[in-house]
Amino acid sequence: MWKPVHLFAFKRKFDFLGWRKAALILSTLINVVSILAVIFVGLNFGIDFKGGIALQVRAKQGVAQLDALRATMGGLGVGEVSLQEFGEASTVLIRVQRQEGNAQCVAGAQRVMQKRAGSGWQVRPGPAGTGDVEFTAPTALDGAGWRDAVSRAGLTIVERQLPRGTTGTAKIDMSPEQRAEWCQQVAIKLVEDAIGANYEIRGTESVGPKIGDELMVSGIWAVLATMAAIVIYVWFRYEWQFGVGALIAMLHDVITTLGIFVLLQLDFSLTALAAVLTIAGYSINDTVVIFDRVRENMRRYKKLGLIDLLNLSLNETLSRTLMTSGTVFVAVLALVLFGGPVLYSFSVGMLWGVIVGTYSSVWIACAALVYLNLRPDQLRPADEEAAKAKA
Amino acid sequence: MLNLPRWQTIVIIAITVLSGLFALPNMLPTGVLDVLPQWYSQNRINLGLDLRGGAHFLLEADLRSVLTERLTNLSDSVRADLRKQQVGIKDVTVEPGRALIVTLRDEAQRTKAIDAIRALDPSLAVSGSGDTIRLAYSDQELFRRKKEVIDQSIEILRRRVDETGTLEPTIVRQGDERILLQVPGIKDTTDLKRKINQTAKLTFHLVNEDVAAAGANIPATLPPNTFLVPTREGMQDLRRTNPKAWADIQAANPRMSPEQICRRYQPQCLPVLKRVVVGGEDLDDAKATFEQQQGGRPIISFTFNSAGGRAFCAATRANVGKRLAIQLDGEIISAPVVQSAICGGSGIITGTFTTQQTQEQALLLRSGALPATLTIIQESTVGADLGADAIRAGTVAALVGTALVAIVMFVAYGPVFGGFANLAMLVNLLMVFAGMSILGASLTLPGMAGLVLTVGMAVDSNVLIYERVREEKALGRSAFSSIATGYERAMSAIIDANLTTLIAAVLLFGFGSGPIRGFATTLSLGLLTSMFSSTIFTRMLLSVWVRWRRPTELVI
Repeated sequence: MWKPVHLFAFKRKFDFLGWRKAALILSTLINVVSILAVIFVGLNFGIDFKGGIALQVRAKQGVAQLDALRATMGGLGVGEVSLQEFGEASTVLIRVQRQEGNAQCVAGAQRVMQKRAGSGWQVRPGPAGTGDVEFTAPTALDGAGWRDAVSRAGLTIVERQLPRGTTGTAKIDMSPEQRAEWCQQVAIKLVEDAIGANYEIRGTESVGPKIGDELMVSGIWAVLATMAAIVIYVWFRYEWQFGVGALIAMLHDVITTLGIFVLLQLDFSLTALAAVLTIAGYSINDTVVIFDRVRENMRRYKKLGLIDLLNLSLNETLSRTLMTSGTVFVAVLALVLFGGPVLYSFSVGMLWGVIVGTYSSVWIACAALVYLNLRPDQLRPADEEAAKAKA
Repeated sequence: MLNLPRWQTIVIIAITVLSGLFALPNMLPTGVLDVLPQWYSQNRINLGLDLRGGAHFLLEADLRSVLTERLTNLSDSVRADLRKQQVGIKDVTVEPGRALIVTLRDEAQRTKAIDAIRALDPSLAVSGSGDTIRLAYSDQELFRRKKEVIDQSIEILRRRVDETGTLEPTIVRQGDERILLQVPGIKDTTDLKRKINQTAKLTFHLVNEDVAAAGANIPATLPPNTFLVPTREGMQDLRRTNPKAWADIQAANPRMSPEQICRRYQPQCLPVLKRVVVGGEDLDDAKATFEQQQGGRPIISFTFNSAGGRAFCAATRANVGKRLAIQLDGEIISAPVVQSAICGGSGIITGTFTTQQTQEQALLLRSGALPATLTIIQESTVGADLGADAIRAGTVAALVGTALVAIVMFVAYGPVFGGFANLAMLVNLLMVFAGMSILGASLTLPGMAGLVLTVGMAVDSNVLIYERVREEKALGRSAFSSIATGYERAMSAIIDANLTTLIAAVLLFGFGSGPIRGFATTLSLGLLTSMFSSTIFTRMLLSVWVRWRRPTELVI
């Protein structure tokens, strides 16, 4: 059997806090850059937040021709379209802006009908102010025939919207909202027709505009609530200085993570938000373990100066800090490498979070204790008694 | 600390074995599962839609219209009641979705009016001053009513979408006024959407033949027990001859009542008695069939429950020769003449239907009326092969991640301590699987990411303990004492570290939806179970090992 390798068995005399000024400058710099980047460049919001349509398509054979596809999509009349390779060279994620349900969409619907139901079809918008759409069929159809025909353009009509008897034209009554909803389907069909037989659609998604705003608001609340809850917990378990230190470290990690999302132009989707929240939780994980040791040492070495005491605690916990960061790092690395395109931005964000979380525990959270002038006599007496009782 | 009582060891082993048993059905091939009893093999984790493929809808219920409609109904009763009590009213208006405002002629009658209204509906909160009385639902009442509507909609959607009971749809409430509908395995959503859009509100009313005798010249004032409802033919003629009117009716918000439509646009209408003879809720069953005579037209036959059957029997017996109007979604679809008392508890609806229409109507009648209109605000479809790819990616990432962590632990802490930590990691995974099977939680792709993350984080407890054991050993403690003290002193840091991460995971669960919840579920479950596997379970292993090997010096 083999012997354990002490992976991080350095001489434990590193003067971490001697570097606190340099760390302060570095951290201020990257935080300011991150904030500016978020404000002026902006996060690359996915359709979860922005609303719109996303289609995942794959070339049936060989590689996807991104440029050719881009040119085709540009002429569709569905507004802004963006394409990106998704995971593999054969797969493309096509994002289309949210459709508005205007005359352009009705014209698009006509193209879909002509392609899918026969060249004689015509589709025209109804009177302004309504969402009505008038269909003209090449031959007269009965109710069921109509229902079947318009469903080819992605339109679902209910009983009450059906034309009566057998007729060649039908005005389908819709509210403007219903038409806008249908137009998302029209856009999907247009893309489907345009990509041709060489590609297949693997999945589609359409998100209304209302959800994005709500998600944004509740996402911000979730991050704030998480940070508040953690700070209160730390404050309750330790002293207020520890709580403040933890808060600054958490803010540092969350802000720079957002910065990384801007810098790498990673998709900021719901999963990315999950990464941000998890980083807030993980950031504190390291910090708390170090704080636990700081408190223990403060009771043991009452005469030791704060900086020496912090350095001692950091050195004592260093190998644990590096070991844990190491195991989380390799696990997340597996996600980055093998987790697939859907999890990619989440995983990259997490990877950054692991690194910065470790850094901030040492140089932000502990340095904050120095700047906040923590003194051993500030420890709660109740804790001292408990410690004595334990000893 | 290390001398565990025997019962503790037994409990720990029992928990571990039980977890294994609960997790096992997830790992067995289907061939083996078929042999096992169903109550056991059924106990498996559901795959989320992103792994399984299927359609996903987020629906929003139009609660405002529902409340406005209820308030409008209430305004009629308030008007009638106050008149009965001889309270002079200037005006009764409905504040959409929220309140009813009554303006009195005489301020002095205010208390009398309030008493009368209170008697009508005690749940209303009364405010306002002088000659106006504002009646609003309290927040609590509003909440209760909204919840009721959503719960009812979910029940009805379930019956409509999954009539055969084989689709396994997920239909859950999401927030205050939304419903999440997921149907695995389907790609074409056209049919599904039609079932969602239809509201299908069915009631039977007697036609007021006295008024109907006036023919097309319906008097301007009707008896208070009568109202006008357009016929389906009437509406369809209106739509052909006056498209503008039709458009206005569809666009009107709040929706126009049938009576308003009749008065304003004068399609063919029938005066019917307000009293509902039988409602759709009393229907037991409805089927699409064909008429026996007259060329076999498609018709809908239905059966009532006993209460509905009795009411129907009594009403038809007393009204032979009169017409019974069948109102569906604000239109009279037919008004056959009652030939004789119908007491068998069943009847038929005739009209101008196609076979497909009768089938669909029958389904809608069977599943009852949706109390509110549902709008699709988010929709996605995932192809089955896309789901399969996601499973593959997630599984590979999980296996590689677990293997890497295991290697690091083996290298850093040697075969014994590293081995115990890795064993604990596997037990932890088993427990997460078991927990998810028991909770009936869905595993999503982000959920798999949570699992991988848990693997990396869960060994942290062991790292904390082992590092502490090393320190204690360096201080010169004996093997036994180093381990015991290591466990003891690492505990507070373990609890703090896990709880803070758990706070983030739990809040994420509360906030998130769909796949994100999957992530929060695996992460929180993993952190919770790791507190057992990494500390209690490994301590048991080590205590057994220490007593067996009696090491003089720890190799850690």
